[in-house]
Amino acid sequence: MAERLLEVKDLSTHFFTHVGVVKAVNGVSFTLDRQETLGIVGESGSGKTVAALSLMRLIPDPPGKIVAGDILLGGRDLRALSEEEMRGVRGNDIAMIFQDPMTSLNPVFKIGSQIAEAIMLHQDKSKGEAWDMAAALLARVGIPDARKRVNQYPFEFSGGMRQRAMIAMAISCNPDVLIADEPTTALDVTIQAQIIDVMREMQAQFHSGVILITHDLGVVAEIADKVMVMYGGRTVEYGPVDEVYYNPHHPYTWGLLGSLPRLDLAEKHRLEPIKGQPPDLLLLPPGCPFSGRCGFERPECRDRWPAHEVVGAEHGVHCWIPNDERLETRAGLPRFKEWVA
Amino acid sequence: MSLLEVRNLKKYFPIKSGVLRRTTGHVFAVDDISFSVEKGETLGLVGESGCGKSTTGRAVLRLTEATGGSVTFDGTDVMAATRTEMQRLRRDMQIIFQDPYASLNPRKRVKHIIGEPLVIHDIGTEDERRRRVFELLETVGLSAEHAERYPHEFSGGQRQRIGVARALALHPRLIICDEPVSALDVSIRAQIINLLEDLQQEMELTYVFIAHDLSVVKHLSDRVAVMYLGKIVETSDSKLLYDVPQHPYTEALLSAVPIPDPETERARRRIILEGDVPSPANPPKGCVFHPRCQRAQEICTTAMPTLARTGEAGERHEVACYFPTRYEDGKRSVAETPFEGALLGAVASAHHSPD
Repeated sequence: MAERLLEVKDLSTHFFTHVGVVKAVNGVSFTLDRQETLGIVGESGSGKTVAALSLMRLIPDPPGKIVAGDILLGGRDLRALSEEEMRGVRGNDIAMIFQDPMTSLNPVFKIGSQIAEAIMLHQDKSKGEAWDMAAALLARVGIPDARKRVNQYPFEFSGGMRQRAMIAMAISCNPDVLIADEPTTALDVTIQAQIIDVMREMQAQFHSGVILITHDLGVVAEIADKVMVMYGGRTVEYGPVDEVYYNPHHPYTWGLLGSLPRLDLAEKHRLEPIKGQPPDLLLLPPGCPFSGRCGFERPECRDRWPAHEVVGAEHGVHCWIPNDERLETRAGLPRFKEWVA
Repeated sequence: MSLLEVRNLKKYFPIKSGVLRRTTGHVFAVDDISFSVEKGETLGLVGESGCGKSTTGRAVLRLTEATGGSVTFDGTDVMAATRTEMQRLRRDMQIIFQDPYASLNPRKRVKHIIGEPLVIHDIGTEDERRRRVFELLETVGLSAEHAERYPHEFSGGQRQRIGVARALALHPRLIICDEPVSALDVSIRAQIINLLEDLQQEMELTYVFIAHDLSVVKHLSDRVAVMYLGKIVETSDSKLLYDVPQHPYTEALLSAVPIPDPETERARRRIILEGDVPSPANPPKGCVFHPRCQRAQEICTTAMPTLARTGEAGERHEVACYFPTRYEDGKRSVAETPFEGALLGAVASAHHSPD
C-alpha cells in the first residue's frame, strides 16, 4: 500500500473582514499518498489557493484563521506546531510553487543565492556547497548553462525559466509534499508543456506527492491521479480522475465539463455553460453554495449542506439529488449521452 | 470578394535608446502577413505571447498605424482613408478587448459607456439612444435596470457583456475580438462564447477572433491562422486543423494543449519544443521557427518560406514550411524534398525584400 503523506480532515479557513465572515474553505477533506498527484480544480474564489496556503500555515492572521480541522503530515498535526517548528516544515517537508514566478522571486538577489538560501536554511551546508547544489538543481530542471545562470538575476530569465528556477528551489530540500498553485497559468502553452514535463520528472526522481491547483481541467486530465472539485469553499466532488471525468456526479462538475471546447473533436458542438454569475462569498447560502446556479435544485439545497456520499471507488460527492435520479438527469444532458451507456 | 483583405501587412515598432532617442532597431511585431476573411465567417488568429496577433488586429482597425501593406474592407482601402472616412469605417469595424476591467471607464455609468459610440457618431435623439442602450443590454443578456450602474458593480463576465454591447451599438459588420474570454473563468467563458456565436448568427457578423487558447479559437472559428514571431505559418479550415496540421510549430502547439479527457491524454504523444520564442527585435534569419525546429535543414536558414497552398483540392489550407507534414491514407510523413510552393515564393520574396 502506498505511503500516506498527508491527511486533511474537515479543514475550515475563514476570513474575518469588516463586512462579514468569508468562509473561504469550509470543511474540506482530502489525502495525498507518496508519488500521487492530486488536482484541485475550481474557479476564482472557490477556495483552492486558500486551502493550499492553509497547509503551509501561510494564511495572513488577521484577517484569516484556520478555524477547524486537522492537517496531518506524516501523522504530525501541523495545526499544533509553533511558528518556529512550522518554519522547519516549510520548504523541508512541504514546498510550494506559485503562479507568478516573477513576484515570488526576489528581483534584487541572484537566482543562485535564492536557491542556496533555502538549502542553507534547512540543511547543514556551507555557502559554497549550497551554490554548487543550486547550479546542479538548475541543470536538473533543464536550464542550460546552469553554472552561469546561477549568477543571473530573475529579470534575466524568461517566464518559463523562472518557473523552472522556482521548481528547483522547491525541490532543493526534497520535500514530501509539493504544492503547485497554478504553476503554468501565466505561461504560453508550449512552455506549459515543458514545465509539466519537468514537474513530472522531478516527481518521479524525488518521489514527492504533488498537489496541483488549477482551473484547467485539461492539465488535470494530463497529470493528476485524483481530483477534488471545489465551489464556494466546499468540496463538491472528489475522486480518481477517470471517475470524476467519466462518471461525474455533481451538477457543478457536469457544468465545468460541458463548458469546455474540445480541441480534438472535428465536429463543432454547442457549449453548455453554467448559468448565472460566480457567488458572492459573503452571501453564501448555509447549504450548497452551488444552489442558485445549479438548475436541478431542490428545496433542501439552500439550507443544508449535504453529507458526503460514496458513489464509487474512493469517489465521493456532496449533493442532495438522490443517486439514481442524478444518473438519470445526467444521462439527459447532451454532453453525457455518449458516456453513460 | 472577401469582406476583409489584408495584404503584406507589416508593423515594426522602433526601439529608441540613448539620450537622443535614436532608433537603434525595430521590433518586427507583424512582418508581412496576408489573409482574408469572408462575410459571415470567423477567422481565428492564434499564437503565443508576442507573436503579433493583437498588433495585427489593431493595425487592421488603424488603432496603430501599420508600417506597410494594405487593408481592404468591403472594397474600401482602409490604409488610405482620411479621418472622416475612417470615422465612417469605424462604424462597420469594431473591437472587443481582453480585459473587461481596463476597457470600461470606471467613472461612467453603463448607459454612457454603451451609448458613447452613438453620441460620437451622432445617431438618433437622446430618447432613441436610450432605447437603443436598453435594447443592446437585452441583446447581450443583461437588462435595462443595469443601465444606471457603474462597471465595478459587475462581475467579469457581465463586464465583458457590456464590452460586447458597446461594440454592437453601431451595427458593425466586422468585429475584432481580441482575447475576449481569456480573463474569464471556465463557466463564464462558455457563456460569452455562446453569446458571440448567437450574435454572429442573428446579425450576420464577421469576426476576427484573436486568442492564445487554441481550443477556444478552434471552437469559434471557421478558419484558423497560426502565427509565430510576426508571421502566419499555417492557415487551415478549423475542422482540418487538429487532424492534419502540416507546420511543425502548429503540430507542437496542438500537442501542447491539454485535452480534458484522461484517456485521450494518456494516449497522446506530446511534442515538447526546446527553449523559448526568440525576441521579435532580433528574429532568426530564414524561417523564423528554424532554431526550435527538429526538421530544420540548411535551406531553412536562408529565407522565410512563403505561405503556399497545400492539402487536398477544395481545402483552404496553406503552410509556410519547406518540409511540411504529409498525410497519405492516414499515414503521416515529413516531406523529403522542399515543398515547391514555399520555395518559389521564398525566392521571389527574397528578391523583392529591401532588407
